[in-house]
Amino acid sequence: MLLILLGELHMKLNWMRRQQLVGYMFIAPNMIGVSCFIIIPALFSIILAFTNWEFPRLSADFVGMTNFSRLFQDEVFYQSLKNTLIFLGSVPISVGLGFLVAIVLNKSVYLKNMLRTMFFLPYITTGIAIAFVWMLIFQPVDGPVNTLLKSMGIVHPPGWLSSTSSAIFVFDIIWIWFLLGYNVIIYLAALQEVPSELLEASKIDGARRMHTIRYIIWPLVSPSTLFLLMTGFITSIKQMGIFQAITDGGPGDSTTVLSLFIYKTAFRYYDMGYASAISVILLLIIIVITAIQWFAQKKWVHYS
Amino acid sequence: MKRIGAVVAAVLIALSVLSACSSNNKESSAQADPSKGSSGKVVNLTFWGGVPAEAGPQEIVDTWNKEHPDIQVTYVRYVNDDSGNLKLDTAITSGQNVDLFANYTKPLLEKRASSGSALDLSQFTDYNIDEKMGPSAKEWAVDDKYYAMPTKRNIHFVWLNKDALDEAGLPVPTDWTLADVEKYAKALQTDSRWGYSTFPFYRDIVPFDGSLAVQGYVKEDGTSNLGAPIVAEALKLHYDMMHTSKVSPPISLIETTKMNMIAEFLSNKLAMMNAGEWVFRDANNIQDYPRDFTVAFAPLPRITEEQDDFRSLGGLGDAIAINAKSKYKEEAWEFLKWYADEGMLPQASGGRIPASKDADQDKAMELLLGDLKDKYDVESLERVLSNELPTFQATLPQEVMDIRSDEFDKYYINAQSLEDTIKNVVKRHNDFMKRH
Repeated sequence: MLLILLGELHMKLNWMRRQQLVGYMFIAPNMIGVSCFIIIPALFSIILAFTNWEFPRLSADFVGMTNFSRLFQDEVFYQSLKNTLIFLGSVPISVGLGFLVAIVLNKSVYLKNMLRTMFFLPYITTGIAIAFVWMLIFQPVDGPVNTLLKSMGIVHPPGWLSSTSSAIFVFDIIWIWFLLGYNVIIYLAALQEVPSELLEASKIDGARRMHTIRYIIWPLVSPSTLFLLMTGFITSIKQMGIFQAITDGGPGDSTTVLSLFIYKTAFRYYDMGYASAISVILLLIIIVITAIQWFAQKKWVHYS
Repeated sequence: MKRIGAVVAAVLIALSVLSACSSNNKESSAQADPSKGSSGKVVNLTFWGGVPAEAGPQEIVDTWNKEHPDIQVTYVRYVNDDSGNLKLDTAITSGQNVDLFANYTKPLLEKRASSGSALDLSQFTDYNIDEKMGPSAKEWAVDDKYYAMPTKRNIHFVWLNKDALDEAGLPVPTDWTLADVEKYAKALQTDSRWGYSTFPFYRDIVPFDGSLAVQGYVKEDGTSNLGAPIVAEALKLHYDMMHTSKVSPPISLIETTKMNMIAEFLSNKLAMMNAGEWVFRDANNIQDYPRDFTVAFAPLPRITEEQDDFRSLGGLGDAIAINAKSKYKEEAWEFLKWYADEGMLPQASGGRIPASKDADQDKAMELLLGDLKDKYDVESLERVLSNELPTFQATLPQEVMDIRSDEFDKYYINAQSLEDTIKNVVKRHNDFMKRH
C-alpha cells in the first residue's frame, strides 16, 4: 500500500518537474538576456560597492564600509544630491502642467490635433538636439531670453547656464518642457475614461467648471497621476545625457547630479568601487521615493 | 535555491555560446589570407590610435603592409575621450585583438602599466629610446621604465594673426610675459575680434604647472602645493583679461556657446591663440577653414618677468605601447620601431612631427607646411620648433585636474573670490591625497 502511494507520488512529482522544466524553457530566452545584462551586473555592482576596485586592474580587495564613509564626507556628493533633488522638482510641476494642458486640449479648441502633436514633439526628439537648442536660447550675452529681458528694462538678467546659482534651474525648465508631452498624452487618455454621466450630473447640480475639475476629474485621474509621478521620478533621477551634453556638471559642480557623478567616477576616474557605492545610494533613494508614493497613495488615489 | 540554480545554468549556457563565437572569430582572423605570406603564416596586428584613419594612419599601415606581406597591420581608431579610452581599456582587459595602442596622457599610461596592460619595453635592447627621442622621453617613464614609446614632439606655442600684428605695427614676440600678451591683445582687439584666448584644455594645464613641476605639486610636509603664489598670480592675470581689459572671451561665454577656438582664430575672430601643433590639422584645411591672413608663431608667455623656473608643457607625446598579452610582441616591436623612425611621417601635415632623431625632419617640415608655405611665417615657426626651453609633462591625476578646473571656473565666473578658490583647491587636493 505504502509502496503504491509512494510510486504515485513519485510519478506525480515527475510530471510536475517536467511541467516546470517546460515552463523554465519558455522563459529562458528572456531570462538569459535579463540576467546577463541587468540582474547579474546589478548584483555585481552591489558587491563592488564594498571593494576598492579600480579599472583596468583585475584584482580588488574588500574594504568594508570605506566607500560609504568616504561618501558621507564628500562635499561633491552632497552638492550632487542637492542638485538631484532640485532637478526632481521639475517632475510634479510638469505633471501638474500636463494635467491643465490636457484639460484644455480635451475640450474643443482650435487646431487641437496640431497642438497635441506640438506638445508631444519634444518627447520624440533627440536629446542632444534639444540640448543645443536650449543652450542657444539661454545664451547669457545675446541669447533670445536675455535679449527679451533686457528690452523689458532688466539691466542684469540672470547668467542662466553660466552662473552657479541659476544653472540647475535651467535644467528644471528644460525637463518640465521635455516631460510635458508625455504627461499630456497619458492624461488625455485618462480623461476619456471619466464617465460623462458624472460630469453631466455635476453640471445639473450647478457645479462650476473649477469645482468639476477639482472634485470630480482630478480624483478620477489620480491613478494616472500616481503613475506619471512614479515613472517621472525614476526616469529623471537616472537622467544624465542632457547634463553631460550641456554643462558637463559645470560651472564648478553646480549641475553635477548623482547620475553624472557616478558616470564620471566610474568612467573618467575608473574608480569603480566608489562609483558602485554611490549607485547603491542612488538605488536606495529611488526605492524610498517610490515607497513613499506607494504608501501615500491610499490618501489620495481613487481606483474606480 | 532551485530558481537560482536555473539562472546560473542559463548564464553558463549563454557564456559558453558567446565564448564559442568569439574563439571562432579569433581563429578565422589569425588565419586570414594564408596564401600571401612567403612562410605561409601571416601575422595580423591591430593598432589602436586616436587619429582619424584618413588623417595619416591608414596611409601608414598601407605602406607597412605593402613592404611586409607577412605582418599585416590593421588600424582601429578610438576617440580620445572618456568613453573612447574606456572602450580601449575594456578591449585590452577582455582580450580582444589589441596589439599596439597609443596613449595620450601620462595618468592613463600609468594606470595601464600598473594593471599589466602595457608591456615593459626594456626587454627589447636593440633600440635606445633615450638616445633616439632625447631627454624629454624620460617624462613618459613609469617607475623609471618605459611601458610606451613617445613618438611625437609636443610643441606648444601661441598662434598669431600676423596681418593684424603688422597693421598694429607690432613685432613677432620671441620672449614675453602675460603682461605683454595683454598689451598686444588690447592693440589687436576690434569689435569683431577677440585679442587673446587659450585653447580649452589649457584651462586644465595652466602656465604655472611648469613652475609647479619644478617646485613639486606636493610640499615637503606632504600637503598640497597648489597654494603657491604663482598659481594665484596666473589666475588673477587670466581673470583680468576676461573681466577687466576684456581682451579674452570669458569662460562662461566659451562654455555656453561651445566656442570652437580654432575656428574663431582661423576665421579672424581671435587674434592670438595659446595652443600648439595640433591646430595644423585644421589650419592646413583651407576648404573648411578658408583664411587669407598669414600666421606667425610665438613661444608660450611666461606669467611674470620674475618667473625663473618656467617650463613649457610636454616635450613628447603619442606614447605607443604594446599589449602585454599580445601574441606577437616581437612583430609589434618591429612595427613600432619603424613607425617611430619613418612610418609616422604621413601624419606630419596634421602637426605630428616625429621625435626620433633618425626621422626625416625636412620631409616632416615640408609636409607640415604643404602648399601653404606663403600662409605661414616660416621664420617664426622654425624659431618655436627649435625652441630649447626645458619642458614638463602633466602628471596630476585626472580627478585633481577636474577639481582644479571646477574651482578655477567658479573664480572666473565670479562665483567665489580668489582667496576662497585657492583655499578650496588646496583643501580638496589634500583630501584627495589622504585617500590615495
